[in-house]
Amino acid sequence: MTDGVQILRRNRPGTKAKDFCRWPDEPFEEMDSTLAVQQFIQQTIRRDPSNLEAILKMPEVLDEGVWKYEHLRQFCMELNGLAVRLQNECKPETCTQMTATEQWIFLCAAHKTPKECPAIDYTRHTLDGAACLLNSNKYFPSRVNIKDSSIAKLGSVCRRVYRIFSHAYFHHRSIYDALERETHLCKRFTYLVTKYPIIPQEILILPKLDDEVPAGESEA
Amino acid sequence: MKIPTAMDDNSVSHHNGGQVGSQIGVSVNNKQNEEPSQSVQYSIPGILHFIQHEWARFELERSQWEVDKAEFEARIAFLQGERKGQENLKNDLVRRIKMLEYALKQERAKFHKLKYGVELQQGDVRPPPEESATEPEPVERTQWKQGRQFIKQYLQEIGYTDTILDVRSNRVRALLGLKNEDSDNSNYRNYEKQQHDRCDYSANHMVRKYDYGKEPRKTSGSSGGGYNDEGMSVQETAAVFANFEFLTNQEMDMDEIDDLDAKQTLHASGKQGEEVDHEAEEVLNELNMLTINEVVSAGQGDEYQGVTSGGSASASAASSSVGSGSGAGEADEETLGLGELAQLTVSNEPEAYDVAGANKESFRKTWNAKYTLRSHFDGVRAIAFHPTEAALVTASEDHTLKLWNLQRTVPAKRSAGLDVEPLYTFRAHSAPVLCLAMGAPRSEECFSGGLDGTIRVWNLPPPTADPYDPYDPAVQGAVLREHTDAVWSLASACGRLASASADGTVRLWAPRAPRPLLATLRPDDGPPPAAGPALAPSPAPAALDFADAASRAAVAYRDGSLLLYDLETGQAVLRLGCDSPANRVRSHPTLPMLVTAHEDRHIRFWDAVSGQCSHAMVAHLDAVTGLALDPNGLFLLSGSHDCSVRLWNLDTKTCVQEITAHRKKFDESILDVAFHPLRPYIASAGADGLAKVFV
Repeated sequence: MTDGVQILRRNRPGTKAKDFCRWPDEPFEEMDSTLAVQQFIQQTIRRDPSNLEAILKMPEVLDEGVWKYEHLRQFCMELNGLAVRLQNECKPETCTQMTATEQWIFLCAAHKTPKECPAIDYTRHTLDGAACLLNSNKYFPSRVNIKDSSIAKLGSVCRRVYRIFSHAYFHHRSIYDALERETHLCKRFTYLVTKYPIIPQEILILPKLDDEVPAGESEA
Repeated sequence: MKIPTAMDDNSVSHHNGGQVGSQIGVSVNNKQNEEPSQSVQYSIPGILHFIQHEWARFELERSQWEVDKAEFEARIAFLQGERKGQENLKNDLVRRIKMLEYALKQERAKFHKLKYGVELQQGDVRPPPEESATEPEPVERTQWKQGRQFIKQYLQEIGYTDTILDVRSNRVRALLGLKNEDSDNSNYRNYEKQQHDRCDYSANHMVRKYDYGKEPRKTSGSSGGGYNDEGMSVQETAAVFANFEFLTNQEMDMDEIDDLDAKQTLHASGKQGEEVDHEAEEVLNELNMLTINEVVSAGQGDEYQGVTSGGSASASAASSSVGSGSGAGEADEETLGLGELAQLTVSNEPEAYDVAGANKESFRKTWNAKYTLRSHFDGVRAIAFHPTEAALVTASEDHTLKLWNLQRTVPAKRSAGLDVEPLYTFRAHSAPVLCLAMGAPRSEECFSGGLDGTIRVWNLPPPTADPYDPYDPAVQGAVLREHTDAVWSLASACGRLASASADGTVRLWAPRAPRPLLATLRPDDGPPPAAGPALAPSPAPAALDFADAASRAAVAYRDGSLLLYDLETGQAVLRLGCDSPANRVRSHPTLPMLVTAHEDRHIRFWDAVSGQCSHAMVAHLDAVTGLALDPNGLFLLSGSHDCSVRLWNLDTKTCVQEITAHRKKFDESILDVAFHPLRPYIASAGADGLAKVFV
């Protein structure tokens, strides 16, 4: 929060876009709000979106479940950018199903019975469903303490989110590349799920473009 | 001999046991003894008939005696109670007499001292001892309250319904200075008040009253309670005086006494006495119903009501002193009837009627959290209700807007609140969405402005839509891109949209038109400030709102100046200013008033005609960020970074409720608040990603 010099970390109305959230960083130890982890993650990303190590380095005092959860929230938020871009290009007529490679057709789990949604619907529904789940009071009532039973939910969310990445990669490459250049989102995501095992490695089918990921990561 | 046979016959005829048999046996015996001396007209059937007849007569008499006995017992109890009451009254009066004497002595001493400059030699002047506590300690007070509660219950049992109590409590509350009444009504209400108060005839009270009896009397409006107390005590003492002919030569310049003296003679005291007795009887019976016939009491309870209404009718129809006179008398009877309860002071009055009158206070509504809207990943920057439905839209820093239907709730664990899931997520902004405005009713559209400088028009899906419907590109409407920097504030009225952006301009749009941009307003050209120092407004508007039926726009700038633009000409017509930067500005729906929320914790009210700041108040512990006015213009809602939402009454500018909500992210807490235009909902949007709706 604020230290003795009274830095108010606020975006007052009328702030220019370039000044948005332009305040000195706060060390994690000094943050005393319940949203401290989110604040910290966003602060680190803002400083340098490509510095994956720093972004994903967990403070020692933190519970791993909370770290994963908050990162997943951040991913879902940032994936919105991808969805926005896809909305213009990914039409139900062109991508009638959610596929990545030719192997699998992914069914949208947001409905009562899994449905074969067009890709754009799959993307939207998955993101909406992830938002509902990650914010639901039932599974994640607290932001500083994650129930063990809910950790499994993180895995399923990650799996579905990864499919969005893979669809974009294989079918809307330009969008994917543009986004990656800006936000390094997929790389970060991959790094997250390998460093803190959330989903099995076989799922990560996207070829790695850089070699920043830690060793021991198998490529399908 | 013959007795056994007679008894056998008697047993055949189904009479009771030995006692009756013996009685009859005796009479039979007598008859039998008499029989030989008289002629033998007696036949067995005749004897039997006679015996039966006699026995029936005896039974009748016995029941008669029992009835009489009960009646006499009741009467005795009644008389005893009456006597007890009389004794209490006598004690009270004696005490009062002593107080008056004391007061008189004081006055004489004062007068003498003033006149002669020397002390008057009197006997020992000391206030009469106060035997009983005049201001009861809280413990006793609670006991009396309990006793009072019991009485209430008993009254209810006998059929003295709540409506009667409510009517009375209403009258009492009206009496107690909640309204300004003229003297006629005040006298009338004194009557009522005496009926309901257990008036404090204690020594202290009297001394107080009579000590400033010579002061000029206060107007009834300003001190309704005091005046009534005075008037009531005066009337009551007037009644006493009339009865006792005491201190009639007192120089009290209290007009009522003169009036009452004059009027008292007009009215037959018999009537008063009659009413008094009747009232007393009713009251006593109400109290005694514990022990004795409830039927009787109930009957008389009804009569009491009848008498009350009769009394009140007479009071209002005839001169007020009738009521007051009989009321005074009745009050006396009431004290005698209620014994210790008479000690309950006037000061207890409002509390005592809390129970009866509590439900009348519900014009002040307390807002409680009902719905929690969870789905945003980052802080919710703006919130707006649907014009008609129970639905709202939130705009968040996670680049999305979400539409929520309050009727679709998710079963939540906590029973107190309901969780709501969004109906639709609007994705198109590539940066945090900062502001939101609802379109006109029935247009089903809303507008959003973001950090990316775009304003987007959205067509709202119907509230019945399923969240997981196929994507409909038609939801996305036009995009207005003329701003070059973040759009911080939007306002919509009459089909037009106004936006304030960090690029320094305020723009006016007609969103549906082919060429949407109507005007661009800059602060450079404007009149000199109407009030405050000459500020060169920094070119960053922070907030805006339409004012004066959408013919003007009020724009608040980051440096604290407030400009009122005429939208026809595009010129600023009025400049208001203060030092503290404003976060929000709202214009009152009906009055020419603007309200601004500032970083220095104040909320300021501005007159839109003269440009003067009509009121400024410290509203919160931290910067005030959200402002909303209810559609009727009576209440103001303000939200602040101190995590509280406060509801203010606009007439009195006082806070009627504070709600703590939302957690802090960095230093931001509550970012926006809103009223529903039609329904009783208020909402707050927080930096923690939640939106809450209160009902």
